[in-house]
Amino acid sequence: MSEYSDKELLDLFSDKEKRNYAFNLIVRKYQEKLYWHIRKIVVKHDDTDDILQNTFIKVWKGLDGFRKDSKLYTWLYRIATNESLTFLKQQKTKYLLPIVDYENHLSETLECDEYFNGDEIQCKLQKAILELPEKQRIVFNLKYFEEMKYDDMSEILETSVGALKASYHHAVKKIENYFKED
Amino acid sequence: MKNFNEKLEELKGNTINPFSVPKDYFEEFPTRIQEKIVSEKKELSWAMRVLYYVKPHFALGFMIIAFAAISITAVDFILSGRNEAGLGNELFTRTIEVDAYEFTEQHFIDVLLEDKKDVIEKKEIETDHYINYLVNEDIDYGTLIDEL
Repeated sequence: MSEYSDKELLDLFSDKEKRNYAFNLIVRKYQEKLYWHIRKIVVKHDDTDDILQNTFIKVWKGLDGFRKDSKLYTWLYRIATNESLTFLKQQKTKYLLPIVDYENHLSETLECDEYFNGDEIQCKLQKAILELPEKQRIVFNLKYFEEMKYDDMSEILETSVGALKASYHHAVKKIENYFKED
Repeated sequence: MKNFNEKLEELKGNTINPFSVPKDYFEEFPTRIQEKIVSEKKELSWAMRVLYYVKPHFALGFMIIAFAAISITAVDFILSGRNEAGLGNELFTRTIEVDAYEFTEQHFIDVLLEDKKDVIEKKEIETDHYINYLVNEDIDYGTLIDEL
């Protein structure tokens, strides 16, 4: 399964008889990476599951028109990121919560989430990350946890590499301050 | 800053992912997503089938509505043209009947002359120009008549 490159998967998908099989391979290859990417943005497992499903449905619908010269995995990450941000926006509108209150709500969710079993220091780090503005949080997660290259991140977030580096620098500073204050 | 970056790296080195998922989540997810896509396809194909059967009736309905709309617009356009003309004349007559007592005969003459005033003034300017030309060139009336 892992021997298939993105290009091979796309070639396989363009064959109408094999497209279901190819899509299944794409899901298997990227589901975990996308899941953890979304989970770190929205925190709750159930929300992550919904967003991941929507992401792959969009991928299924859009894969026909996908240009083969683009990178599949940055495209997948872009869809997942946009879906997550849309979800957060909907939640804030739905409950009429200001941004700060919503970040607090996510911190509380983290504490009582049955699928979070980190120790004290891990919990503190996650809470510090949740204090960051949304875009900065995504940049920090992609760089710190997934060790993604700035070039790829630039394609996903449609932001310049310089801006992303600055964003990561500010994020680390804020997390450091959070640790010092606490 | 540098120290904290190192601290973060150390933290990452020791960190086992603090989040977890329900049992067999990733094993079952591809099947769930395939099922969802199949059900979406079924819903879509049902909608397409309904559209396939309803389309000819819709087309006929749209044709009738379009024909009716064009007919109504055309008739309305023709009638409105007539009405506007009729209304226009009627309005002038009515205005004269009702308001005429406020004006004297001289008012109407002034108004009519006002319309022609510009034309008369233009003609006067042209005549002056010709007279000046004849005077400057010392051409007398008799010579001019002979030439014509």
